[in-house]
Amino acid sequence: MSQEPDVVTRRDFLRTSVLGAALSWTVPVFIERTFSALNAEAAESSLQVATGKDHPILVVLQLAGGNDGLNSVVPYVDDAYYRARPTIGIAKDKVINLSGHIGFNPALAPFKALFDEGHLALLQGVGYPNPNRSHFRSTEIWQTASDSSKIIRTGWLGRYFDNCCSGEGATAGVALGGQLPQAFTSENPTGITLNPGSRLGFAKETDASEQALFNQLNGIDHDTVSGASIGELSGPNGSGMTAVEYLQRTALDAQIGTDKIAEVLRRVKPETTYPKTQLGNSLSLISRLIAGGLPTRVYYASQGGYDTHNAQENSHNRLLGDLANAVSAFCRDLKSKGIFDRVMTITFSEFGRRVAENASKGTDHGTAAPMFISGGAIKPGIYGRSPSLEQLDAGDLIYNVDFRSVYTTILNQWLKAPASKVLGHDFGSLAFV
Amino acid sequence: MLTPLPSSKWDYDAAGHLLVRAGFGGSQAEIQDLADRGIQPSIEKLLNSVPTEPTPPTWAYPNSLKDLVDQIRSSTTPEEKVKARQAFNQANRAQMEELVQWWTQQMTDTNAPLLEKMTLFWHGHFATSATKVRPAYKMWLQNQTLRTHALGNFGALTKAVSRDPAMLVWLDLASSRKERPNENFARELMELFTLGEGNYTENDIKESAKAFTGYRINQVDQQFRFVANQFDPSIKVFMKMAGPWNGDQIIDIIFEQPQCAKFIVAKVWEFFVYDDPDASLVDALAAKFRQAHYEIGPLLCTIFSSEEFYSDRAKGAIIKSPIQYLVQARRSLGVYTPTGRAFVNIYRQLGQVPFYPPNVKGWDGGKSWINTGTLTYRYQIARALVNGIRPEQVGLPRLPQKSTTSPNQGTPEQSVIASMPANLDAGSPGPAATPFPPLTSPWPVEKYVNSEDRKDVKRLLGKLYIQIFQSSPQSDLLKNFIEVASNKTLPLDDGSIRDLVTLMMTTPNYQVS
Repeated sequence: MSQEPDVVTRRDFLRTSVLGAALSWTVPVFIERTFSALNAEAAESSLQVATGKDHPILVVLQLAGGNDGLNSVVPYVDDAYYRARPTIGIAKDKVINLSGHIGFNPALAPFKALFDEGHLALLQGVGYPNPNRSHFRSTEIWQTASDSSKIIRTGWLGRYFDNCCSGEGATAGVALGGQLPQAFTSENPTGITLNPGSRLGFAKETDASEQALFNQLNGIDHDTVSGASIGELSGPNGSGMTAVEYLQRTALDAQIGTDKIAEVLRRVKPETTYPKTQLGNSLSLISRLIAGGLPTRVYYASQGGYDTHNAQENSHNRLLGDLANAVSAFCRDLKSKGIFDRVMTITFSEFGRRVAENASKGTDHGTAAPMFISGGAIKPGIYGRSPSLEQLDAGDLIYNVDFRSVYTTILNQWLKAPASKVLGHDFGSLAFV
Repeated sequence: MLTPLPSSKWDYDAAGHLLVRAGFGGSQAEIQDLADRGIQPSIEKLLNSVPTEPTPPTWAYPNSLKDLVDQIRSSTTPEEKVKARQAFNQANRAQMEELVQWWTQQMTDTNAPLLEKMTLFWHGHFATSATKVRPAYKMWLQNQTLRTHALGNFGALTKAVSRDPAMLVWLDLASSRKERPNENFARELMELFTLGEGNYTENDIKESAKAFTGYRINQVDQQFRFVANQFDPSIKVFMKMAGPWNGDQIIDIIFEQPQCAKFIVAKVWEFFVYDDPDASLVDALAAKFRQAHYEIGPLLCTIFSSEEFYSDRAKGAIIKSPIQYLVQARRSLGVYTPTGRAFVNIYRQLGQVPFYPPNVKGWDGGKSWINTGTLTYRYQIARALVNGIRPEQVGLPRLPQKSTTSPNQGTPEQSVIASMPANLDAGSPGPAATPFPPLTSPWPVEKYVNSEDRKDVKRLLGKLYIQIFQSSPQSDLLKNFIEVASNKTLPLDDGSIRDLVTLMMTTPNYQVS
């Protein structure tokens, strides 16, 4: 396996500069330890460094609030649909036919184009046993891939990082929008968030010596580590790290992650083809980071507003339109950059809505819903069955695809990761990869 | 391991350590007072301080939202119902924001900090979240119950929690029926509250769930109500003992298991001292706790008296929770925090909102407080606390200037997102200076720094160090701060001093205690 040249440089730099100098308290202890661990690993020639040039990338889009699946992918030949939704049902003549049984909401027209080009897979009836209808709890279930009766602390992507990305640094996962999603929670902290003005630093440039001391105390002296996350060089997170060492490492990850990102963004300019929305901005940013070679495995972004309890028609259509336009622009952009085959984009929502509309021309919290999967190298088509509108569980759709089998497919087939280890159980696979 | 700290080792730093861990830190005078008293009188003071009764929030009485609830019930059209529901949710959210504020104020102002600290421990232990429990009055009531028993008896506390209306909703006891008992509470009672996983059987859960039937909430006064005809009086076999057990008797049987004391003392130790205590230490502490009939005061006294509590292993081992971070900054440094939504947003960004634990397990604590996002925010908010908090730093729209309104400003979300890539693109270090007024006053320099301090960098930084780190200066660390400050023009102005305070707060050392 080839190694990125600047990693070698960095390592040499550490060897000569850090260990060559007398170690004082000013050199964070963990660098010293990391270096020892690195030497041990290098001696075995087993060290692999992500090159950021060829590995598959996953983009996760969270549709927060509970997307109304039945008004996204419409079972327009089923009279039961129109009986259950006399006012908010999507009129037959407006539905964009997919299979002769189901069709897209007209707002999802760009998805139909992707579907026809062979770049979109539709997963129908995705859910899990004993569904929970609380936003909070059901989101947690999707993020941690737990049973609905179990609480797991770590996220499914966090466990993927733990199992497969040790030594790749914090930028193995990048989340847009401030807080790290629970899906990223891992034993070995991984993942960067992009906040507005989020560059970690002393944030005031009046006094260079203050900035220098800040860097020194936080273990993020740039001259020492020269653009590399220490996480890239480290083995598994020492649980033996002291609290202060742990804080230094996190500070370093934050600083270097955001600096790396800023560096990429200076180099790669944005395309103008994206919708001017939060989601459009997010996907535009992600495309630039991928194109710029950021060694990130998983990107995470979200689109809110799907909790459509009342007068949902306009707001729901607007959300779907934004989603389809943004994803479609993203796909075109990746294609023109020649990296479409490396990127898979998936959507998920904590639940679908109830089958019957409520009295406020909206829908309440429900269960199973579709997922949309796009990418240059996916196997297009419709997977899973459209849930029956007659056989319901207390007015709700019955899932037929466990979302964890979707995760299994992505982990095993796309990310080449041991899904059974990450998910703790074999949930079976689908064929969309 | 539980040998008491020799009184010869009791000094200012030991007193500071105790006040930070057993409370939320304090002023130099408060720490000095404990140092002068000696270790045992200090611990007794912490354990026995009688709190001044705080004024409850104005709405903290049963059914303060009754009008709004009635409106929902009496709505005749769906539109009305939606509106009424929204009105209720809005009012309830406002109450919750006030409650978050109220408790933080209580932790900040109290003369019985250990009582509040232990109330916080129990809140994390019997973790109940306002995401499910409504109205806010129930959360307030639970907070009172936890405070009442915080330093009392663990068994009595557990029984009180089993009757607590917020808990009855949170773990579904209030809807448990004799014919089909809900097992949620019974399971968590053993798994999370008293024994830990692996120390009971699935059958124990099923059987004890029958004993916790008939637990209801009186909707008029929002208090616990036992409904005898909903209680299952049948014989239950619990932990190999057969009888017509009720809920309290189940708790009594649990408390006869030696594992119960081990489980809880290990958790208390980790909250106050350090992670992963040795088994021998846990056994010794648990034995004492059982002998003392699960009295919490003596347990804490043993811990705070022990040499181990002041050991090198303990010092700096705990990463401050967001609540500790903010309350300690207020208590020891006197910074101001905003109210309402802004304050809740700060907690949220830092990763802990009181009354909103992430799930029934409570907060994981320790290293889980810190990731790149939360640490970055801690550093941003440190600067903001010292210089005055601006609306956009706490997720609120910038207030438009009086005379001009900017047409291109958009919603706060839009402006936040729009500014994000631009900032990173430009490689600029942070948001540009804003003309919009801050939500809080800056840290009042003149209250803590006199004109002599301004002329003498060593003197100033020694003083700030003691205040910020709650201990006497670590010479190498202090030396670094002095070096930086010596570049500045004397006498130091407010801005320079605020920069130095910010610098001290944005170190790893400040995040730990």
